[in-house]
Amino acid sequence: MTDNSAPVIETRGLVKHFGSVHALDGLDLTVHPGEVHGYLGPNGAGKSTTIRVLLGLARASGGEARVFGRDPWREASVLHRRISTIPGDVALWPNLSGGETIDLLVRLRGGDTTSVAYTTARADLIDEFQFDPSKKARSYSKGNRQKVALIAAFAHPAELYIFDEPTSGLDPLMESVFTRQVGRAAEAGGTVLLSSHILSEVEKLCTRISIVRAGCVVESGTLTELRHLTRTSFSFERDGLTDARLRALPGVHDLAEASGRVSFTVDSDQVAGILPELGALGVQGLQVAPPSLEELFLRHYGDVVAPVEA
Amino acid sequence: MFGTLLRFRLRRDRTQLTVWAVVHFLVAYMVVAAVNTTYGTPAERAATVKVLMVTPAILLFRGTPQGTSAGDFMALLGLTFMAVLVAFQSTFLVVRHTRAEEATGQTETVAATAAGRWAPSFAVIALGVIANVIAMIAVAIGCLAGGLPAGGSWLFGAGLGMVGLTFVGVAFLLAQLFPASRSANGWSATLVLVAYVVRGLGDATGTPHLDTLTLTPTAWIWASPIGWAQRTLPWSGYSRGWPLLLGVASFLILTAVALLIQDRRDVGAGILAERRGRPTASAALAGAVGLALRLQRGVLTGWVLAVVAGALLLGSLAGVMVDQLQTAGSGVTNALEEIGGGGSMLQAFANIGAIFSGLLASAICVQGAMRLRQEEAAGGLDAVLSTATARTRWMLSFVVVAAVGAVVSLVLGGVVAGAVAGSAGGGFATWFWAIVWETPAVLVFLGVVALVFAVLPQATVGVGWAVFGLGAILGLFGPLFGLPQWARDLAPFAHTPAVALPHPNFTGGWVMAVIAVALIGASVYLFRLRDTRPGA
Repeated sequence: MTDNSAPVIETRGLVKHFGSVHALDGLDLTVHPGEVHGYLGPNGAGKSTTIRVLLGLARASGGEARVFGRDPWREASVLHRRISTIPGDVALWPNLSGGETIDLLVRLRGGDTTSVAYTTARADLIDEFQFDPSKKARSYSKGNRQKVALIAAFAHPAELYIFDEPTSGLDPLMESVFTRQVGRAAEAGGTVLLSSHILSEVEKLCTRISIVRAGCVVESGTLTELRHLTRTSFSFERDGLTDARLRALPGVHDLAEASGRVSFTVDSDQVAGILPELGALGVQGLQVAPPSLEELFLRHYGDVVAPVEA
Repeated sequence: MFGTLLRFRLRRDRTQLTVWAVVHFLVAYMVVAAVNTTYGTPAERAATVKVLMVTPAILLFRGTPQGTSAGDFMALLGLTFMAVLVAFQSTFLVVRHTRAEEATGQTETVAATAAGRWAPSFAVIALGVIANVIAMIAVAIGCLAGGLPAGGSWLFGAGLGMVGLTFVGVAFLLAQLFPASRSANGWSATLVLVAYVVRGLGDATGTPHLDTLTLTPTAWIWASPIGWAQRTLPWSGYSRGWPLLLGVASFLILTAVALLIQDRRDVGAGILAERRGRPTASAALAGAVGLALRLQRGVLTGWVLAVVAGALLLGSLAGVMVDQLQTAGSGVTNALEEIGGGGSMLQAFANIGAIFSGLLASAICVQGAMRLRQEEAAGGLDAVLSTATARTRWMLSFVVVAAVGAVVSLVLGGVVAGAVAGSAGGGFATWFWAIVWETPAVLVFLGVVALVFAVLPQATVGVGWAVFGLGAILGLFGPLFGLPQWARDLAPFAHTPAVALPHPNFTGGWVMAVIAVALIGASVYLFRLRDTRPGA
């Protein structure tokens, strides 16, 4: 149906205004087939607006958006047969039971709720998520409302999964069930766009990441690629080394000392160069840490942490 | 704490309170003005009262004949209708501040602060009292401005305020019982209409005294708060204040019971236990139509039953009228035919009855169209549009369900009213077709509110009720208020072919049908052009 290499999602210069507010301001996002793509950004960065445009709920003010090569606004209902989605704020009909809602949503996506594949998948998911499907939606907690959306999203397979902060309200146990389900969906060939600000979740699941800030994607790539753009941190015991010898180390930033340990950072592509120098110093208790996603993230919203520039 | 909460609620409601006050003042002033122009002299009023008091079908919708002064006419023609307005204001106000907030979680936010569980409730009750004091003053000033005596004006205003106060208690109690604000609102509104009809039975079955031109209603009237207000007999020589105490006592008792219940239940829970649902969906719950039907079935059933019950009542009253016309003297019969708009009194009654049925059916349409916005605000629209359901299909599903509900109610109502009236000699076909021909007018309501939803979604609910209220005032009471013809023509009901009267003109009906379809088509088209806007 689609060319294997053609992007599943592609936006170019996507703009969305709400009055004078620019929710999206020239957003470029590309998601390739088979990717689990992490979409990161703080509240208000434009993550949910992007998803609303991709689902045809909001109309782009400018730029271009394509899902499976089609216009998500004009061809929304055709596209949605291939898409499974979890909204950021799961809204349910108060007087429908959870089980009824799941069946209804799957039917609305064009799924056959009498098929064995569906009933088995549904039963397994209900079991895994420890969910009671016969309670009225009105009486569900936030986590249970989230489960309704999750079960409906996974019970009927899709080519593209769009998740907007899907685990908010879930306990860690249920989060791991979610992680497992995303893994299965990806193994089955599905593409996933996972909007989140839970960094550990993204780090665990995602093959590629885009970081959005103020309606623009400011960084996009694999986690490894992104790490190259940052610094690796080193620390070891001071153990009588003089200041002069430490200052002589090449390419070192943020040199500091606390409780007898020296720490500094090095540009990630300079790490190989400094190792022999450290060997020559004979340092003890050396720890080398690649940048966490959190640091990557904070670097782009870095007003609160120490500036990276020397 | 109480003061802070009350100020906060007053601030939130300042627009609504102002609008209601203006409405109460204007309605009071307009009815007085209409009485003065239409029935300007005591002789004219005496002639009219003579006719009305032997016409139970009219008394059912109006009030108790209590004399021939302008004030007596105000009490006879304006009181019950205005009481319904005041009651609706109170029930909506209370549910909005109690159960609706509880369902959305605001109550929990407030209850978790130092405010606790009692202060917020007392603040709502105080707000209800304030709203009704304002209503009382607005009504009294409206009457005074129309030139009515002061004592009666204040008693009249106080009577309406008392009705409102009673329904503050009713709604506050119902808000404790039902876990959903829609149920609390629906049942409150039903009880307001029941109160209106019950007092109507008292008036319709009362004993007329032709020498004093007064009527003694039967005991039914004491079963309704609106009846208590009527029995203060404002402006008459027999006016008295004590029936107001019944309303105040009811308010205190209802509120106390509600507070006791509130003290024993969890925040967010109802007293009527939540039933468990089906673990899987039935085959009927598929597609947008299945969803619309499922969500609307309770409301639809309620309204259809209301239309049928109304038709039953109208039909049987038509039968009563036939009997009375046969026994009444020729003088009365002539007078009846004179105010019957060219036809007989019976035909005129069928005409009013059809408008009344149409009004109930248009409530189905207005609520159905408002549901579009409620679904959007609550996020249900986004959930459905994120599936393979197109916007057109979603919108048409809700619109068609409302339209079909309205048509079914009118057909059933027509059959029932026709059968009951017909068996008493009132004519099946007249009643049946008079009610069924309300369909185009009713669908115009659907189109108008749907169009507002498409263009100005946030205004849907407010405009919806305003359109309905305006339709009711113009359609049912326009002739009574002596409004100019152009104003009466604004109501779709004015263009319904008056099948019950001689020489009906069918053009208006067909034109309205076309307008309704055009409005619905335009609203679906325009809805497709805009973003969805979840959230209030």
